[in-house]
Order: sequence, then structure tokens, then C-alpha cells
Amino acid sequence: MKISTLAAATALMTVAHAVQAADIEFWYGNTGNVETAIKAECDAFNAAQSKHHVTCVGQGSYEVSMQKAIAAYRSHNYPVLIQFFDAGTLDLMLSDAVVPVQDILPDVKWNSYIAGARAYYETSGGKLFSQPYNASTLLFYTNKTELEKAGIAKIPTTWEEVIDAARKLKAAGHACPFVTDGDTWRVLEQFSARHGLPIASKHNGYDGLDAEYVLNTTFAAKHLTNLVEWRKEGLVKLNADTKAGNYTAAFNAGECAMMEGSSGSYAASAKAFEGKYEITVGMAPMYQGYERHNTLVGGASIYVMKGRDQSEVDGAKAFLDFLRQPEQQMALTAATGYVPVTNDVLDAIAKSGEGNSTKYATAAIGIKSMNQPRTEDSRGIRLGFYVQFREVFMEETQKAFAGEQTMQAALDRAKARGDELLRRFEKTYKGVKLP
Amino acid sequence: MSSDSNLFSNRWLPVLLVAPFMLLIAVFFYAPVFQAFYWSFFLEQPFGGGSIFVGWENFARVLSDSEFWEAAWRTIIFMVTASSLAVAVPLILAVAADRKIHMSLPARNVLVWPKGVAGASIGVVFAFIFNPFVGVLAPLNNSFPGIWAPGIDGTDAFITLVAAHVWGGIPFNFVIILAGLQSIPRTMHQAAAMDGAGPWRRIFDVQLPLIMPQLFLTLVLEFTESVTSAFALIDTITDGGPGGATTLLVYKIYVDGFSGYDLSGASTQTAILMVFVIILTAAQFLFLGRRINYER
Repeated sequence: MKISTLAAATALMTVAHAVQAADIEFWYGNTGNVETAIKAECDAFNAAQSKHHVTCVGQGSYEVSMQKAIAAYRSHNYPVLIQFFDAGTLDLMLSDAVVPVQDILPDVKWNSYIAGARAYYETSGGKLFSQPYNASTLLFYTNKTELEKAGIAKIPTTWEEVIDAARKLKAAGHACPFVTDGDTWRVLEQFSARHGLPIASKHNGYDGLDAEYVLNTTFAAKHLTNLVEWRKEGLVKLNADTKAGNYTAAFNAGECAMMEGSSGSYAASAKAFEGKYEITVGMAPMYQGYERHNTLVGGASIYVMKGRDQSEVDGAKAFLDFLRQPEQQMALTAATGYVPVTNDVLDAIAKSGEGNSTKYATAAIGIKSMNQPRTEDSRGIRLGFYVQFREVFMEETQKAFAGEQTMQAALDRAKARGDELLRRFEKTYKGVKLP
Repeated sequence: MSSDSNLFSNRWLPVLLVAPFMLLIAVFFYAPVFQAFYWSFFLEQPFGGGSIFVGWENFARVLSDSEFWEAAWRTIIFMVTASSLAVAVPLILAVAADRKIHMSLPARNVLVWPKGVAGASIGVVFAFIFNPFVGVLAPLNNSFPGIWAPGIDGTDAFITLVAAHVWGGIPFNFVIILAGLQSIPRTMHQAAAMDGAGPWRRIFDVQLPLIMPQLFLTLVLEFTESVTSAFALIDTITDGGPGGATTLLVYKIYVDGFSGYDLSGASTQTAILMVFVIILTAAQFLFLGRRINYER
């Protein structure tokens, strides 16, 4: 009798616990003003309801976050929710460590997600694997004040115009007309996508793990060769050529007049410019004669990890639902410049009466850029060991910028080394089918 | 039984005393090393869930990879230049400080202080000192634009790295060498002086031969340390760039394993690097160590 009472009580307590608060952890990799905005969202969620509690843990960077997730998963001590960056998508999909978000939340209207933000995180069947969160894309920034000083009235939209403007700026004595860091995401991935060029066969890997790099044979090779020539001419500067040692810092300080940058850096730039210069932000430049396609989504998305209790999954669902709300997305966009990920947010912004406010400057242009006509080669990138390939690409192209090899040779080397990575990845995941 | 073994009355006591330390070594050294060797024979999925035994294939691939050999070659160049300078510079300073010259006492203290600075901090400071726009070499760039550009030029970046490493190595090596120098009896100097040996002659014929054990120790430690400890400097100053010019093996392993999630490739390189360091140290003891006379 006593024992059964005890058992009943225990059972009750267990049930009560299951219904009651789930204390879940969410790992993210951002720092600076983005981290501040993420923490604010966590606090808002915890304040908005008492059923669940989320603890948001910053890891310092996307890469460190991924390293820790791998270690944590291997030692069976991992969070429920984790944010991963774009380049880690395939690793996550094949990891068997995450549950597709669309399986957990089948009733959400996933079609309200803007196509450009979806495609990167979809399975081949169109099922969303993770919930896009801090979405960025590549935008073109100019320091309008400096451009006008050099007699440039129209903001350039093509590479021809950009270089024309750069020559004028240089003639006017500007030391740094256009700045970039030569990052793979900027100069290769986003460039290829919007010009409708593949970087690897099999539609950048979406059709199978047996893809091969083709980046050395497309028009991207010509563009990268141009960058080398333009740098020699003093029109294009790299991180190391700037006093600030960093391209966004150099642009923000007014040292450089134009840059291609992530929408996620808009808030910092706009703040730095305040009262000193006028900033413009538009779609990234195209070459004349090329039809504009969509740019890829950057930033990161949130994954639900496998094997957690139902109560924790419930907490995770509640948090994901919360983050999807237009108000939350608006807050993130306003604080950081990240682009909203669902279509209803633009309406909400319009209704808020602040549609023209600078804090939403990246929203419309970012969505527009990601919603350009798409091709099978501009869905995203689904290539194995891709983070390592980004390193390879940077290493080889840096040698080209330093004049140690031609850009074509650099790209040929990157292809060869990249293919080797792809083959090894294919072998590591032998028998695993792409979802 | 020799008298040494009577030091402890209980035969388990020495084992017990050593056990905590052995446990730490086991957890933080032997276990990871075993894991690395184990993974180097597999293709390991980052999140677990599947690994494929491939035998020596990983080794064959790494050893036929030109990137690996370039990183290995850079490691050797770094090891030889950085560690010989990291012994030579403190040696010069120690010889100077050993003499009763003006200010030698405060100098001894000042030179030891940097020992308290972490590698990463040294990196941050040197990245600033060698910055082409604000650093000490910036005036050079004003006269000859682009002559000092560690962000673009691999050689310049490498020089920065060597300089930072040498600076970081000064205190420890200085202390060891100075201690060696100070243990040389004054009478030897006096005897040499009476025989007509000048200051330079005394350095080469009296001091250097007598501090050979200390020089050997610092050199062996430097050789092994330069291979592994360059990591903090590379990570804070150059990130292995530009164009991989400062990607030493230890940094390549980190990037492959932790940025690229290539656990098998990184493990294989770890195994190779470890064998390399062991061979190197053994060779030093076999060939160099024998020539050292520890008796005085």
C-alpha cells in the first residue's frame, strides 16, 4: 500500500515535471551587436511565457560553436537547439545528429519562408532541415559622401561602373576606392550564384556526393583575375592593404569608399557613418550582359538536435515559434541588418509605419536580392568538407594576390585540392544518401 | 637490493605518490594520443555514427600530399631558425649579464619578466608592433611603399613569427644559460686571464665549453617546443597566412581537424608529427648529447 502510494506520487511528480518547464539550451556563435540582439530575444522569450526557459550560450564564433557541438554530441551532452552557419549544412544533414525541423513542426506554414532563405537548408525533396534564423546576403555598400566628392553622382550597379567609379576616386586622390577581404563567400559563392554560375557540378552537389569543382572554368575565374589586375592598379584593396587591417573597419572609418559586404554588418556601418557620411546599400554589382540571379542566404540557421526528451523538444518548438514571429524578426533586423526570413515580415514593417527607416534598410533589398530569378546552380552549396575548401580557396587566391602564381593557376590548384576533399568526404559517408 | 629502494618503507607508497600525476598524464596525454593513432586508421564521421577502417590509407594520402610536405618544410625552417635564434640571443644577453657591467643586475630581472606572458598575448603585441601601418617598421614603408607587408608577403609574415617566438623564448633560456655561466668558478676566469686570454678568448675557450650541458638542454627544449608552441603565435598573428606561408604543421592540424571537421586527416598528421618530434629528440640525444661532457 505504502509502496504503491509512493509509486503514484513519483509518477505524478514525473508527469508534473514533463508538463512543467523545460529548461533548454541554445548555442549560438555570434558576437558583438548580433550577440546582444540574440540575448535580447532569449530574454523576451523567457519573459513572454513561464512554461519553458531557454538559456542562450554564446560560443564566440560559428566555427567554435560547431567544434563544441561535435565534441558535445560525441560525449552525449549536447544542447537541444544549436545555430550552425551555412557552410556546415551538409555536415549537419549527414550527421544523423539533428532532426529535420519540418518533421518536428509539421503544422508551420513553411512556404511563408522566402525562397532564397529556404533553398539552402532544404532536402532534395524540398523539406526544410533547419529553421533559417539570422539570414544575411551579400550587398553593395558605398560611402555616398566620398563618391559625390569625387564627382560620381550615380551609385554603380555593374562591375564596369564600380571600376569606373574606382578610377575616378583614385584620380581624386582617394587611397582606397573598393575594399574586400577576398573571402570565399563574397568573391566566389555569391558572385557565382547571382551570375548563374556553378562552382561545382551536380548543381553544387545537390544531386549527389560525387560532384566536382568547376570554379576554375567559369566566368568567376575571369572576375577573380580582374580583381588581381584591379588591385595592381590600386583600385581594389584587401584587408592587409588597409590601415584598419579589416575591410569592414576600413569602410566604416571612411578609409575605403565602396565594399561588398554581408547585410549583417549594416547596423555597425550605419552607426559608424552617423553624422559623418551618407551610406547607401544596394544589390551586389553584376557584369554587363549577365542576367541577375538570386544571391545565396548567408548567416546561420537553427537545428534541433536528436535524442532529447519530449519536454525539451516542446520547449525548442516554442522557442522556434517565438523566433518566427514578425516582431522578433523585425527586432533582429533593426538591431543587426540581418534580413527577415519570412514574407509576412515585409508587410509588418510596412504596417509599422517605419518602412523607410534606416534600421530596416537591408530588409527589402536583401529579400529582393535573394528572390531574383533562380537556377539550379543558385540554390545553395551542398559540398562536403566545404569549410576546409573555403580555407583552400583563400590560401590559393592569396598567393595569386601576392603575385606568387596567376589567379588561373590558383583556381586550378583549388579545384584539384577541393576535389580531393570531396572524394574523401564521399568515402567517409559511404552508403549515406543525401536527404 | 640496493639502498635506494629502502627509501620508502611501504612498497606501495611511491606508487601512490606518483599515481595522481600518472593519472593526469594518462587522461590528458596518453588517451588523446591513443585516440589520434586510432582515428588515423579510420575515416571518421565528425558527429560519430560511422567510421570506416582504411588501414594505412590515411598515411599514404597525407604523405603524398604536397601541402603536408610544404607545411612540414616550413616547420623545419621555423624550428631551425627560430630555435637557434632563441638560444643564441639569450646566450649573448646572458654572457653580457654575467659580466659585472653597469646595469647588469636590473637587466637580469627585466629579462626574466616576459616569461609570465602567455603566447597568445605575445602574438597580439607583435601583431601590433609589426603592423605595416602603425608598427615600428611603418616609417620604412613611408619611404619604400610596400616593402614591409606581412599581410601580403609570406616571408615578412614568417619573419614576424620568428621574432615573436625568439622574444617569447628569451626569459627561460636566459635563466638557464645565466645559471650555467654563474656556476663557472671565478678562478677559471682568473687563471685564463693570467694566461693572457682576452674577454673573447675566454668566452670561446672557457665559458662556452663549460655551459654545453645548459646549451644542449635549451636547444633540445627549443627544438621540440618550437614545433608545437608556435600555435598560439600563428593563431594570433597570421592565421597561417598569407597564402599559407605561416601554416606550420601544428596549425594545419588544428585547421583541418577543428575548422574542417576532418578528424581522420588531422589525426594522421598528429601521429606523423609526434613520431617526427620523437625521432628528432632521440637524434639530438644520440648524436649531440654524446659529445657533451657533464663533468667539470
